[in-house]
Amino acid sequence: MVDAEYDAVIVGAGGDGPVAAWKLAEAGLSVLLLEAGPFHGNEQWPDPHGDPGAEASSDVDDLSGELLDEQFTTREFEMVNRLFFGPADENRGIWARKFPGDGAILQCAGVGGTTLHYTGCHPRAYPAAIDEQGHWPIDYADLLPYYREVEELCDVQPAPVTAKEELFFRGAAAAGWEFIDEMNVTSPGYRPQPNAIRRPDRRLHVDGDYDGEFTYPDVTGHTLGLGEITGNPHPRGAPFEEKAKRASNVTFVPAAMRTGNVTVRPNAFAVDVTTETPLGDTPTATGVTFRDTWSGATTTVEAEVVVLAAGAIETPRLWLNADLPDEEWVGRGLTLHFGDNVMGLWDADDLEATLGKPTVDQHEGQNIAARFDYPGLGMLQTVGTTPGVGAILGFGASASGFAFQHDTEDAPWDTMGRLAGPELKRLLSDYRRMLPVLVVSDDRPLKRNGVTVQDGAEDEHGPIPLVNYTPSEADRKRRDELAEIAAEILREAGASHVHRSDSPPTALHLHSTMRMGKVVDEACEAYAVDRLFVADHSALANGVGGPNPTNTGQALAARTGEKIVDRYF
Amino acid sequence: MTRGGIIRRVRTILAASASWLRTVGRRVLGRTRGDSSSGDLHTRVTFRACVDAVIPTTPELADELGPEHVPGGNDVGVAEFLARYVADRVQIGIPHTRHDVDVVKPIANVLDSAALKLISRGDNEDEPNEERPVAFFEGTDVPADRIRDVAGPFARLSPRDRLRAIHVLDEIEAQFTLPDGRFVEFDGGLVGQLVVGFPKLIYYGEWEGYPDPERMPFGQDHPNDPASVQGWRQSGFPGFTNGYACLRGYLGTEDGTLGSEDAWTTIDDRDGSSVSLFESPGRFRENDYDTDGYVEPYPEGGV
Repeated sequence: MVDAEYDAVIVGAGGDGPVAAWKLAEAGLSVLLLEAGPFHGNEQWPDPHGDPGAEASSDVDDLSGELLDEQFTTREFEMVNRLFFGPADENRGIWARKFPGDGAILQCAGVGGTTLHYTGCHPRAYPAAIDEQGHWPIDYADLLPYYREVEELCDVQPAPVTAKEELFFRGAAAAGWEFIDEMNVTSPGYRPQPNAIRRPDRRLHVDGDYDGEFTYPDVTGHTLGLGEITGNPHPRGAPFEEKAKRASNVTFVPAAMRTGNVTVRPNAFAVDVTTETPLGDTPTATGVTFRDTWSGATTTVEAEVVVLAAGAIETPRLWLNADLPDEEWVGRGLTLHFGDNVMGLWDADDLEATLGKPTVDQHEGQNIAARFDYPGLGMLQTVGTTPGVGAILGFGASASGFAFQHDTEDAPWDTMGRLAGPELKRLLSDYRRMLPVLVVSDDRPLKRNGVTVQDGAEDEHGPIPLVNYTPSEADRKRRDELAEIAAEILREAGASHVHRSDSPPTALHLHSTMRMGKVVDEACEAYAVDRLFVADHSALANGVGGPNPTNTGQALAARTGEKIVDRYF
Repeated sequence: MTRGGIIRRVRTILAASASWLRTVGRRVLGRTRGDSSSGDLHTRVTFRACVDAVIPTTPELADELGPEHVPGGNDVGVAEFLARYVADRVQIGIPHTRHDVDVVKPIANVLDSAALKLISRGDNEDEPNEERPVAFFEGTDVPADRIRDVAGPFARLSPRDRLRAIHVLDEIEAQFTLPDGRFVEFDGGLVGQLVVGFPKLIYYGEWEGYPDPERMPFGQDHPNDPASVQGWRQSGFPGFTNGYACLRGYLGTEDGTLGSEDAWTTIDDRDGSSVSLFESPGRFRENDYDTDGYVEPYPEGGV
């Protein structure tokens, strides 16, 4: 049951909200954790997409690995549709957001949020992005204790190498780049991904002749058959908290619930933040109104503090739709790691010579397990995908039309643009001999980029988010240089054909729309509203240099949880 | 060109664009009132034209890759499922009216508008041909005369000209405020995403293998047989799995913290410090860091 009042109400049980919930609950505070999407793997919702189920869950014993196995089928088309940002009810479509061009926002709804389909990558920010780029009012050193705490709870460790990572590492070394073994990266080079994924059973080595089952308890940890993007129930048969990928639903959510102080309320879309202004000046947050996504009923709960953790799109949208002060930077400064896809294709004989087998087999291993860092530019990472997701991500969209419309004679790639027709079929016939590399650039927060709302463009929760994003010329240069480095690494690894997508802006990582130093102070409390905090990626002051942002978002949320306790309890 | 000439040229382009946006707007809004007498087959022809351009039937690949690479998306019904999928799951810039508006017919009509635009620019490389759409329905019982009657300009274009027409849409973004205050937005790039990107996800994903591929996959079992999906047969994807014994090791060096126990293979042996794959991962080094030497490769104009 949801009570009428709590010490804290947190809006959003995604990657970061549960971290703040855990910190507050550990301090003995009562917490209501609201989530717009469903709660997978919880006995209170045995059919979370077909039936409204219970109202809330407060007992860690409600969590069920068996239900998670059943609900996360790992089938890509089904799971992309299951997890995409929309209501739990499978008979309804996704929630509308306006995004420019032919890009898309790839966010999930559900307890765990976008960590349900993230690839477990948990690198830290580049220190220079915090200390040298001029956006952050705090130091990288301020984050270090929280990084360590998050990394321990999420079992962050060096990712395992399968054929696709070996190929990338060989290319990076042959291209002259240095090997990096550091957590705090200040110079370019290649290294394994620091992944929040438990290591695979050592018996799964290629020389091990393993012929057993890939299920728990025969094996523990990751089972090297992808699965992260589609939720990752592996190893099947494992208890809820023993799943290999340490998404927030299997780490911080149970840790928070185990305190006995947290109630998780899924299917609850926050539509208003209530305030009082007793002294006639700065308003004080007093609670949250949310709408049940199944019944449409609205409920208001009161709280000593309100924490917004709905993500870099919905957090500013909620602010803008609520009766809160007009603030210049609310929704502004969006960074999304303006990205691209560069793909290498190999001849079988060349692979045989390099890897000892004629295929790359991108469907094996972890989705993303090898990376290249370049502070100041961003990063590269190999991406193994199943063919449907790979085809739409790698060849489905381009800012520059179709491949046949481009002359690439002097370019570092053989083809560029969307692929279609016989060329697409020919390329996909080599799915097992290709390796995609994701280009992730260190784009910078510009005021013109961000989230706005407009009356008339509404859904059942009020005006929808209208997202605008146009990279700067410097952003484009950073991306172009990274794409060229990617092409060189693939060539050095022996690729016979290199394709570049020239992707339109697509929102895989989203940050900095409620920036520390602009909208919130150093404790992530809003300048304009007392007792209103932000604990998600929107509070990041920039895009952390390009590395995957989950670790930094969670570290900052942990810090914010402690600051809330210090300041008000 | 003189400065005045450039300005006149820009004005001409803007005027043409405005006219184009009005056309698109009329077509989007017109179709929302359901004023099509032959809409369903026209829509089906147009969606088949998209799928034929993106994932075609390719007899020319038989000798090169094998006979299993000949069938395309229209041989397994991707266009019909795509139309249903878009109708059920997607709203395109027309918030708050989702249950009132069929967005599939407007997409088909916008594609026809794009085809007309391409032709009016003289950017089509092949002449439109009314026999092309008939070929999309080979093996079905849809009468050829009926297809010729309803096929729009988009379906009559050659495959590459259809893709060029879709690219024309990438340039278009328009916003309207209706008299009742509703805000309507049309983003042509999203149409391309739906008719180029989504067919790939459907075709190369597991969709075809469901017992009832006309429905969304929710609640359906899947055989997970590599032979059950044409896109899997053509890509070599072996189906979903619980795991693989494919571990090669962990990247590291003999003298560093990453990588421990025995080395399996060497990745790089430059400079005497060999980077290898080891049996165990070791751990990342919690290094001191110094950012004083940071140089901004491409400085921003400002924040």
